[in-house]
Amino acid sequence: MTDHLQLWSLGLLLLMPLAAALASPTSDLESRVFEYDLKNGLHIIVYVDSSAPVATTSAWYKVGSYDEPLGSTGLSHMLEHMTFKHTDFYKPGQLDRIIDSAGGNNNGFTSTYYTAYYEDFAKDRYELALKIEASRMMKCIFPDSEFESEHQVVSEERRLHDNYPAGELWELFGATAQLVNPERNPTIGWSDDVRHFTVQAVRDWYRQHYNPANAVLVVCGDVQPEDVKAKAEKYFGSFKGTPVERRDFYDVEPKQNGERRITIRKRVRVPSLIIGYHVPGVRDSTWYAGEVAGTILGGGETSRLYKKLVNELRLATSVWSGSGVSRDPSLFEVGVTPKAESLIPQIEQVVQTELDRAGSELASDRELQQVRNQVLAGQAYRRDNMFGMTYWLASSYILFGTWHQAIDYAEHINQVTPEQVRDYCAAHLRPDNRTTGILVSAKETK
Amino acid sequence: MKFRISLPVILTSALCLLTSAFGLPLYRDSLPNGLVVLTYEDHRLPTVAVSLVCRTGAASDPHDKAGTTAMMADLLARGTATMSDDSVKSIVEFLGARLSGDADQDNCALNVRSLAKDLGIALDLMADAVLHPAFDAKQIELARSRMLSDAQGMFDDPGSEVDYEFGKLLYGDKPYGRLTGGDTLSLPRIKREDLVAFYNTYFRPNNCFVVAVGDISRHDFVAEMEKRLSSWAPGPVPALAVGPLAMPDRIKVKVITRSDMNQTYVEFGHPGIKASDDDMLATRLMSYILGGGAMSSRLGISVREEGGLAYDVRCWFDRSRFEGGFHATVQTADPRKAIGLMLQDIKTMHDSGATRKELEKAHNYYTGSFPLTYASTYGKLGQVRTMELYGYGMDWLNTFPAKVDAVTLDQVNKAARDHLSPGHYWMVVLGPVTREELGLTDVEWIE
Repeated sequence: MTDHLQLWSLGLLLLMPLAAALASPTSDLESRVFEYDLKNGLHIIVYVDSSAPVATTSAWYKVGSYDEPLGSTGLSHMLEHMTFKHTDFYKPGQLDRIIDSAGGNNNGFTSTYYTAYYEDFAKDRYELALKIEASRMMKCIFPDSEFESEHQVVSEERRLHDNYPAGELWELFGATAQLVNPERNPTIGWSDDVRHFTVQAVRDWYRQHYNPANAVLVVCGDVQPEDVKAKAEKYFGSFKGTPVERRDFYDVEPKQNGERRITIRKRVRVPSLIIGYHVPGVRDSTWYAGEVAGTILGGGETSRLYKKLVNELRLATSVWSGSGVSRDPSLFEVGVTPKAESLIPQIEQVVQTELDRAGSELASDRELQQVRNQVLAGQAYRRDNMFGMTYWLASSYILFGTWHQAIDYAEHINQVTPEQVRDYCAAHLRPDNRTTGILVSAKETK
Repeated sequence: MKFRISLPVILTSALCLLTSAFGLPLYRDSLPNGLVVLTYEDHRLPTVAVSLVCRTGAASDPHDKAGTTAMMADLLARGTATMSDDSVKSIVEFLGARLSGDADQDNCALNVRSLAKDLGIALDLMADAVLHPAFDAKQIELARSRMLSDAQGMFDDPGSEVDYEFGKLLYGDKPYGRLTGGDTLSLPRIKREDLVAFYNTYFRPNNCFVVAVGDISRHDFVAEMEKRLSSWAPGPVPALAVGPLAMPDRIKVKVITRSDMNQTYVEFGHPGIKASDDDMLATRLMSYILGGGAMSSRLGISVREEGGLAYDVRCWFDRSRFEGGFHATVQTADPRKAIGLMLQDIKTMHDSGATRKELEKAHNYYTGSFPLTYASTYGKLGQVRTMELYGYGMDWLNTFPAKVDAVTLDQVNKAARDHLSPGHYWMVVLGPVTREELGLTDVEWIE
């Protein structure tokens, strides 16, 4: 097969120093992002984009499953549910009606490191979102009578996880790989903890974590920064801020000295395989080498693992790899969908062989350039919707301490060398640092 | 923009039809071979997304070869007569671009997204894929393998499984009853000649349209399409005819008992209407009031907010070319109670209709949130694709809010009476439950 197009295209591409030629998709962010702090400690980030007459308003609290003590896992998520019910502004059943009536969308979500709420509105209605979020921040009411039905709703949500086998694999894999760090706990909480939530625990958790000094307000869209500042002062300015000290679990995980394995047998037709290795988190400068390694090894169909496992050996139908965005040392993961259960041992061997190769040989310039190009393009795509921008800016601020990470990330990736990628793989992607989780079929039970 | 194409080229060779969509930078042109070209200029970001959409979808799959359209669409992005899949992917991923096929029952497409500076290369790849697809034997086997894995994996998710079982009851042997992605019986039957036959029959410029959204001008994009696709020959395209769906004469229930689960998945409903039905807008407003939101709709209030019986409960009418379905779903540990409440809520809507206050809220929701649906690139792409596919007209994005506001309470209540059929449901129940435990009376149990 003669690849005419490939020849001229690639020839052209390789002649061009692509990353340098392209104006960064984040080059105008400096002039579009504004930051303020209210006296009570509420941090405000505004991103101005007037291309559509809409705005996303969001409030982010620095509390999530990372902060929950044993026996209370899932409490941040339970609290998230309860904040939709009753404040000094809305009563049970009213919030969605208020938002629907104004033509908006809203939701909330809980993560390892944060709990967040957002409203999408036409730009002339974003003040309503500020009013809602202000009442949620400090004016929630948790009557005994309103707790049980929502507790049941959350229990049903927990059951959705129980009946999804791949979800069970993820939960148990995480808890096997991480023994101490609270990242091992599912955000929704372990079933027994969810069953025993009390309304008093919800009240206490709210009082401890919801206040302006533990929150970030992010508004993205067709808004004026000074207008946001003035309205934020109007709705949030009178609240008292109380800084919340977050426990740090940076160095709690015991050293792993040998592989750990779990096998889950459920009613499944398609097996799953996850392999994880302890690696540094975002507070370690080598984290960026892990980002590059993850893309080279398992990012897309030209990645090494995809080409080997799916195209060449035909052992799997999909594969991916990468490390998460974690404050603490966490996991570099390889996920595989094997074509059959019997192929799993061979797949494990192939994966480790490829990781060993990455730890002994240098990645090519073309591989690194591809990662850089993908990061730049990804930054442009990410700016496409206001919720995406909100998430990007807020999570950067909470996890990296500055929204500027949204710009800096590409520069850090550009500076990663082939030697750093090799050394990262050699140091961490070793068999004795590995946890393997397998989901395979069990006989059907009636 | 980066393309240097002179305007006269376009005006002499392309049929420029009506232009701006009432103030929006959305334009509709067509090439002499019948290819409709829609351009939504959006210069916020240095990116462009393009979908080349074929107006035929999986509903036209051979009856025993479900998955043909989806496999063909997938393979369009996987190699051409002169370029291997590896070569295509190498270029696409090196650029940080995306190239993929997709399919549903009513249409299929080849999609590309790239930075604007790389659009020329991306369009070269797209045009080569459209005009000279390889349908390479190795790629067919790889695609079959992926699709078989997906088809089997569907049964590992109880929500997908219950929806599949419900679809079989609702559609019977009608085309929408077949899985777009195929199943474990149909996928092994698909041969290369089936893919080629579908491509040769339906992938014709007079049966396709292309939508671009992003940092490109209308004139440049039309010229780029003309340059690359004017040689694409039109041809006759057979029409698909689908008869009406059968309304069950009572409630007919299939129970799949799974003692290893701790929650029951339920889906029930009956035949609905076509996307082009005059009642569609009133029906959408009615179903939104009844079960459009898990927290503020009637179903949401009774089952979730007051009953604490489920995390998610909802109902909807399909929007599709041929008759779709009315669906109601819930996942609950107490199916007896949840189903009872849902049946009652639907009957109340049918018998008594909505209130003026509920309709006012629905008006506000639809008109207020509509601009949010096309604020992003993919939002615009999706809305324009729907608009063209179902013939809503170029003014749709502008006039939709006014059309919503014009729907009266009488029309909503008539839609409830005409398109809800209490007591006539197909129902699938999957979970740790027996027929007796459901407490349903006057129903027919089916295997």
